[in-house]
Amino acid sequence: MLRDNPRATASLAGLPVHSVLAPVPIVCFVGAFLTDIAYWRTAAMQWANFSAWLLTGGLVVSIFVVLAGLIDFFGDRRIRGLSSAWVHGLGNGLALILSIWNAFVHSRDAYTSVVPTGLILSGVVVLILLVTGSIGARLVFHHRVGVRLENGR
Amino acid sequence: MNRVGASVLALAVALAACGGPKPIDPRRQMGANPYLPPIHQYLMPPMHVAKIVPWGSAMPSVPAGLQVKALANGLKNPRSLYVLPNGDILVAEADGPKGPINRPKEFVMNWVEKQAHSKTKAGNRILLFRTDDAGAVTSRTVFIDHLHSPFGMVLVGNDLYVADTDEVLRFPYQTGETSITTPSVTLTELPGGPIDHHWTKSLTASHDGSKLYAGVGSNSNITENGIQAEYQRAAIWEIDRATGAHRLFATGLRNPNGLQFEPQTNVLWAVVNERDELGPDLVPDYLTSVKDGAFYGWPYSYYGQHLDPRVRPQRPDLVKTAIPPDYALSSHVAPLGLVFYTGTNLPAAYHGGAFVGEHGSWDRSILNGYKVVYIPFSNGRPAGMPQDVVTGFLDSKNEAHGRPVGLAVDTRGGLLIADDVGNTVWRVTAADQP
Repeated sequence: MLRDNPRATASLAGLPVHSVLAPVPIVCFVGAFLTDIAYWRTAAMQWANFSAWLLTGGLVVSIFVVLAGLIDFFGDRRIRGLSSAWVHGLGNGLALILSIWNAFVHSRDAYTSVVPTGLILSGVVVLILLVTGSIGARLVFHHRVGVRLENGR
Repeated sequence: MNRVGASVLALAVALAACGGPKPIDPRRQMGANPYLPPIHQYLMPPMHVAKIVPWGSAMPSVPAGLQVKALANGLKNPRSLYVLPNGDILVAEADGPKGPINRPKEFVMNWVEKQAHSKTKAGNRILLFRTDDAGAVTSRTVFIDHLHSPFGMVLVGNDLYVADTDEVLRFPYQTGETSITTPSVTLTELPGGPIDHHWTKSLTASHDGSKLYAGVGSNSNITENGIQAEYQRAAIWEIDRATGAHRLFATGLRNPNGLQFEPQTNVLWAVVNERDELGPDLVPDYLTSVKDGAFYGWPYSYYGQHLDPRVRPQRPDLVKTAIPPDYALSSHVAPLGLVFYTGTNLPAAYHGGAFVGEHGSWDRSILNGYKVVYIPFSNGRPAGMPQDVVTGFLDSKNEAHGRPVGLAVDTRGGLLIADDVGNTVWRVTAADQP
């Protein structure tokens, strides 16, 4: 008999909401770091505008990613039993707090909306996401969190 | 407000509260040598606008020896005033054009700005009031309709010039006319949309009538819309009346308004709105004589050569040439109206100096401005501290009944004040005179 996998409690149409949506804020925050670098090098304001939109968009989608992640985390004790799930959640929580701070920094006008604080925060968030993102990938591909078996479980 | 809005607001208040220096006494920033505190850049500026409540039976207050009456009310965003030689009073009803949303921040800013302004849709037209010997309005007509955010007005001979936000228009005017339907001629195009951040174009004419002067405000707080958007802005234009050709008379003036020639020395003066978001007491707004060819700092520096770290690339070559303005009015008071008093109706204490209309602050926790002040002049220069003349636009609960904008002196010597939140024009005279 096949062993049951840890369940993604927050599922829609058979898909785990957390895993499906998680790439959106990751791409937004990585993108914001890149557009921050572009602004820093060129002083062309439109790059900083892109950063501000990417941060805002990433944070809005993060609300759903966090909710789905918390539902999964508390919905199956086997997930709570994985120490990497704790690191993944806490690390991403830190990345989100830094990104909220970063969005406010980006609401300043012109150069100091990016350099130096905004640029540093964007870079630190990308570093955190590299770690927590790969842990997240391990949770799915190694610990099979939310992976359905062929018989429907 | 919904729950999300409430929590966003709560977060904003918390962020605003946890950072930022306490505002200092505004009197330390009035006059020739204002105190300039260190720069403080917020995570979230303390956006604080007075809640708007109707005047009801309340009135502005004036010191002993003066009286104030409503010349007209029920207007649609009266912003600026001009008195024709026959005594007729022109009132420009205007609001700014709608700009694009370039950043998420602008959603919040637009919302805050809406709270601070009248809910009445502006007329975007000029009204004409005719008054009797007691200074009361006897007739009220639409003088020029269908304008595009009009602000500046000046008559030279039989040519009436109106500064829409994007062009200077010329209308033929005959003494006594109460309505102009003749199509206008464009004298000069001015920098307008699509952003048009500072849209009020103040206008005056040289003594001999050969030149017009137009105030063209910046297209941003501090170049956040890109330096390209600032082309020929933050400047006072000198426009040749015969040809419409223009040159930049003075630059680096973030948002110059109330252009007026000082009557004794025939020197051009303006009130200027300085930059935001460097703290509750930076940068002081000011009143200054405008020197031909001078650079007053914006955006690279403020109050002379104090560098603004938010502008890139910097221009040390320009900063080296920046001169400080003449007279600080304290921070964020938003001066939009200026008139030198040449009448005789008001008591002698108000002769020869300048009245300034302060629209009032939005980005400091303790409100500043929201009143009309008088600055005594001697030999064409400010001589003494500003004195409060018309107050009471804010009540004891810090709610705003009105906000003063444009000023003018009528042919009987009464001081006129456009109130774009109370939708009223006020008239101040000596207590014992009409």
